[in-house]
Amino acid sequence: MTQPACNKEYNIMDFLDLLSEKAFLGREFLTWLWFKSDQSAWRIEIPGKKVVEVRFLDKMTLDLSDADTPQTVTLKGEYSGLREGLAALREGKKIEEARISVKAADNDFAMILKGKWFSFGSLRTPPVLPASEVDEEEPLEGAFLEKVSLIEESMEIVDSLFEYFLKLRTSDRWESEELPGVRRWVESSSG
Amino acid sequence: MGLLSRSVSIMRYRVRGELAGSFWDSVDEGVKKGAFREIDTPGDEVGMGWVAMEDFTDRDFPGASYLRGNYVALSLRVDTIRVPPRILEIQVRKESAKLLEETGKQRLSSAQHRELKERIKETLKRQVFPSIQVFDLIWDTSKAVAYFGAHAVKARDRVESHFKKCFGLTLVPLIPYIRATELLVDKDQQQALENLKPCSMAR
Repeated sequence: MTQPACNKEYNIMDFLDLLSEKAFLGREFLTWLWFKSDQSAWRIEIPGKKVVEVRFLDKMTLDLSDADTPQTVTLKGEYSGLREGLAALREGKKIEEARISVKAADNDFAMILKGKWFSFGSLRTPPVLPASEVDEEEPLEGAFLEKVSLIEESMEIVDSLFEYFLKLRTSDRWESEELPGVRRWVESSSG
Repeated sequence: MGLLSRSVSIMRYRVRGELAGSFWDSVDEGVKKGAFREIDTPGDEVGMGWVAMEDFTDRDFPGASYLRGNYVALSLRVDTIRVPPRILEIQVRKESAKLLEETGKQRLSSAQHRELKERIKETLKRQVFPSIQVFDLIWDTSKAVAYFGAHAVKARDRVESHFKKCFGLTLVPLIPYIRATELLVDKDQQQALENLKPCSMAR
């Protein structure tokens, strides 16, 4: 069996601490992703890898993670989120979850990506061929494997974007170029 | 909605730990050990266990039917019986009044009251249909990753503890930080990740 790169064991307390202390990572990723998608006309080029088309769709929840009491705002409706969403970013909020679509090759996926748990809600993959149309000895298994491979493809795309973000976030370039760019974008949309 | 539906909600887990002995024998043993059991013990309100993904009444898995290539495909079935509290209260009142009349006592002791309540609850349980929930789990044994078809905390707690009980393996939710430690392989980047603090994205 292939083992993951990190094999660290977590006990429940370690895990809960990590969940709350490092929750900002997912929120910052989603916020940066929106910036990147908006700035590059939805086509994000991952250096040395591929181009991923990322669109923010009709639902977004932002919150103020450092506040004593939760301050959450949910935006719904196509294209309506941009103005209100940026206004919430200016107040210091970050994206907690958003409905997005991603596409790296032929397949288009839509999902609600959640920042805290990095979980995938309402994930829609392209349709799988009905079992009756799959030309195999075991049609049910064929349909199963096709669906799982689509699920995995969607997660690999999100992982590749997350990895791109992490490499920037842990580099000096974050403070010198990327973060000032995000701030300019947030600010420039005021008024 | 199952994992094979058009629209699915998925929690991703890393599967941590090693199975003792032969891998596939241990998987089979774990599946059979944790196969669905109905609510049959007094006091139980939940019946739980693995069933076939395509048929929630199948808990026998003939010919290791849960196996699809390198994947183990299961569903966790959770049957819950809940006696409506007000109905229970009415029955307890009726029965205690009857008992007091028969014995000529003024009141029941707390132990008697508790015993009566439990007895009535067991009787009422037989008259209530359980609520049946089914959650899909796909375990990719080649990548040590599992996909669970629900986000609800209670369902997640159940699958995490049932999986541990059956296979002795831990399901670790792939939250952003844990996934990040896997994606960043460079030592300097890992160190930087550990030291990261939240930043303000507004001026």
